[in-house]
Amino acid sequence: MSSVATAPSPLSRLLSFWPIVTLVALATSTFLLLLPVYNIVGLSFSGQEGGAGIFENYIMFFSEPYYYRSLINSFIVSISAMVLALLIGVPAAYIVSRYDIVGRSLIKTAVVLTFVSPPFIGSYSWVVLLGRKGVLSQMFADVGISLPSIYGAPGIIFVFTLQFFPFVFLLVSSGLKSIDQSVEDAARNLGSGEGRTFFTVIAPLLLPSITTGALLVFIASFTDLGTPIILGERFRVLPVLIYGEFVNDFGGRPVLASTLAVLLLIVTTGALLLQRRLAARFSYATSAIRPLTLQSPGPLKRFLASVFIYGLVLLALLPMINIVISAFLKSNGPVLVAKFTLANFDKVWRMADGPLLNTVMFTTIATAMCAIMGTMIAYIIARRSGRISALLDTVVMFSYAVPGIVLGVGLVVTYHNPPLALTGTPLILILAYFIRRLPFSVRSSVSSLQQLSRDTEEASINLGAGPGRTFLKITVPLLSMAILSGALLTWSNTIRELSATLVLQSGSTTTISVEIFNEVANGNFGTASALGMTLIVLTFLPLLLLFTFLGKNEEALV
Amino acid sequence: MTTSVSIDNVSKEFSGTTAVDSVSIEIGQGEFFTLLGSSGCGKTTLLRIIAGFLPQTRGDIRFGDKIINNVPAHQRNTGMVFQNYAIFPHLSVFENVAYGLKVRGRSRGDIDREVRQMLDLVRLGHLSHRLPRELSGGQQQRVVLARAMVIKPDVLLMDEPLSNLDTEMRLHLRSEIRALQQQFGVTTIYVTHDQEEALLISDRVAVMSTGKVVQLGPPREIYLQPSTLFVASFIGDNNLLPAMVEETRPDGSLLARLPGGQALIAHAVPGQKLSHGEACTVSLRPQDVDLKQGGPGGLEGVLEDIQFLGNTIKMYFSLGEGKPVVVTLPGRHDVTIPTVGSKCTLHPSAHAVTAFEGVVSQ
Ligand SMILES: Nc1ncnc2c1ncn2[C@@H]1O[C@H](COP(=O)(O)OP(=O)(O)OP(=O)(O)O)[C@@H](O)[C@H]1O
Ligand SMILES: [Mg+2]
Repeated sequence: MSSVATAPSPLSRLLSFWPIVTLVALATSTFLLLLPVYNIVGLSFSGQEGGAGIFENYIMFFSEPYYYRSLINSFIVSISAMVLALLIGVPAAYIVSRYDIVGRSLIKTAVVLTFVSPPFIGSYSWVVLLGRKGVLSQMFADVGISLPSIYGAPGIIFVFTLQFFPFVFLLVSSGLKSIDQSVEDAARNLGSGEGRTFFTVIAPLLLPSITTGALLVFIASFTDLGTPIILGERFRVLPVLIYGEFVNDFGGRPVLASTLAVLLLIVTTGALLLQRRLAARFSYATSAIRPLTLQSPGPLKRFLASVFIYGLVLLALLPMINIVISAFLKSNGPVLVAKFTLANFDKVWRMADGPLLNTVMFTTIATAMCAIMGTMIAYIIARRSGRISALLDTVVMFSYAVPGIVLGVGLVVTYHNPPLALTGTPLILILAYFIRRLPFSVRSSVSSLQQLSRDTEEASINLGAGPGRTFLKITVPLLSMAILSGALLTWSNTIRELSATLVLQSGSTTTISVEIFNEVANGNFGTASALGMTLIVLTFLPLLLLFTFLGKNEEALV
Repeated sequence: MTTSVSIDNVSKEFSGTTAVDSVSIEIGQGEFFTLLGSSGCGKTTLLRIIAGFLPQTRGDIRFGDKIINNVPAHQRNTGMVFQNYAIFPHLSVFENVAYGLKVRGRSRGDIDREVRQMLDLVRLGHLSHRLPRELSGGQQQRVVLARAMVIKPDVLLMDEPLSNLDTEMRLHLRSEIRALQQQFGVTTIYVTHDQEEALLISDRVAVMSTGKVVQLGPPREIYLQPSTLFVASFIGDNNLLPAMVEETRPDGSLLARLPGGQALIAHAVPGQKLSHGEACTVSLRPQDVDLKQGGPGGLEGVLEDIQFLGNTIKMYFSLGEGKPVVVTLPGRHDVTIPTVGSKCTLHPSAHAVTAFEGVVSQ
């Protein structure tokens, strides 16, 4: 006599917890990611008039200078920003990680702050400082110096570099942490000076961090929409063109927009694949028993390093300082008057039950969905090996590669018509945020699960708890820290989303980021600053929580 | 209710390797059964198949007379004790032990009573509100044991439960496990690579090697009558001497010639046919040798080294060629120990010398 249950039928095995979750995850990503992408690819190959060849749109793109110039422009600004970000990001990381200069952790916090502030706010802030009537331009003009223009390619490259060099800075910082002091000691012992040691020993070990950082800068620059709209003027990049084709007569030229979106997607996917290959190729899997130690540089070196790093941080923070100040200044359209006021925040207050509420609500719901679904997907990827789990892994990675504007266009094209007319509803925004930010939760939980022994979960199964119950009672509590930090990252990254939102919002579902964008477009810089400050606070608070209470490093951001 | 377990021709293949190879074992109700073998021989794999964590490639597992191949792990009602404790770190001692009962939907009163009883049995009653990280390794392992026992499992499965503990704790818990098992009468499958532990704790032992069961029997039989050269070398200290069959006799004994030129009488292991001129290996336990001066039928050796271990004295005798032969004597007050360099004659006791086919790789 035994109390063992009888064997269940194959059907009931298929209907058990994890197979159902897998199915839901696959269906969700199919409808929110693969189908939209499939549709824009399909549209891009459809002729605008019947009977035209399937490559018609692409032939048109590559023969019209107006169009193909934008692709070239995108490459110009992205590659330039990438190179510049490396040139300042790597030394900055080295200095902060190796030299005992004053205020190291403050510098890191400042870098994070510039990193998480929405790029388009920074751009407009630079216009106020360096634009034709800019504060700084006029100041310098008064003493006879004419500063270079902030508009066009140089301005975009300048802002991208300052905005995205933290990718390189943070990755290289964490790369430096995994190098053992003995490596450097050995090189120095063999007679190699500091510079030579860096280039021959340290830098090669940093290659995975450097290449990853560089490609992330490239992708971020290539897909950014806000900055080039504000600064580009006649210099147009690909995302701006997509946005233009899309909004100029609503839904009117989705075919062209789709064609441009596919080109954008090809570049970002290629860059991401390249990043994976390079990171794997250069990986030496070192781990530091005794990490690199802090050095006390000589007076000259210390002076130069300090000037460089403080100068950089100041420059990167300048637009934000400007925003904070002008948020409290009276404004007369685009001209700010040096008088203190809280009037700008009135507008923020009036938005409390509109865009502000929308922003917080959409972000919260999407973050919760990401946390729940992301943790389950992470479990499938980490614990249930097999083809389907590998497929899920790839799909999640792919959602990282799809730029916001591309996803936006794809979702509109897919869900514009009845019976699923979702564009303009809160739901479509929430779903877009969810699918775009899903990788944060997944990655956070996967890496935690890989360090967690399976035995604990098996012990629960063995004691009679089914897979669902075991997940809820054992896995989730053990992952709670990873889930929380994944959620905080998701929140910070979702709340400042602009490009997908611009395409998907309607008047009633507008968010703070869109409002800032509109205020900027209308030249109300005071209001834009007050809103911008609110948004920066909302973005930065969860990160502060993450660093102070969850003991995460700044490097967790990338 | 505890149950008998039958493992019927079970195999498990991972891509490329066969981790468990056609294993058949019948384990009786209430038996303490041990799987013994060196690292990587497939013990854990077999145990996990029984627990339902791995599907077998071939063969059947039965609890009683019911085939359970397709019963999912959480419905098999086995109690498993893991090597790394696998304690729930976020639950208190009490909640850890109560977990399985809660899953089974028992009333709070029942749970409270049974958990307390169980915790008292493993002498952890006073720690029931502690969190696992506030416990020692031995205490954690007792929590896990209590957690597995309290659900009254059909079969108790233990995967090297003592291997993470220090020697003293190990000896202590070993007898505690055996006592609990006897008290509950639960069918137990125990995995270890520690042969002493296996011999001491088990009713029967299966010695495994590269996925196969090479010998199965009570501890004494395994030790005294190893059926293969592998078992003879794996279980207990043994002298394994390469030799050549010089003469076979009708009574099953044979004369084995050692490389140094000396010969001794051995018995071929049952089931193996050794013929004249064949290379073989003779086994001789160190404690099965009497030391004398001269006498017929002995091996002449020179004492090379002595190791004093307290309760035993270990001596190394050179037979002229090959590895020295180890002989142990009890460390009694009245034992006389030859001096290093002296010549002695080694007389194996009757039936203590066994000859096996093949040669050990040194
Ligand atoms: N999931 C797996 N995939 C591939 N091979 C495996 C897997 N699990 C075990 N093996 C292989 O099967 C063989 C038996 O492994 P098993 O864990 O059962 O050994 P063991 O006897 O428990 O060893 P130990 O005493 O070291 O725990 C080993 O060769 C191992 O490499
Ligand atoms: Mg094992």
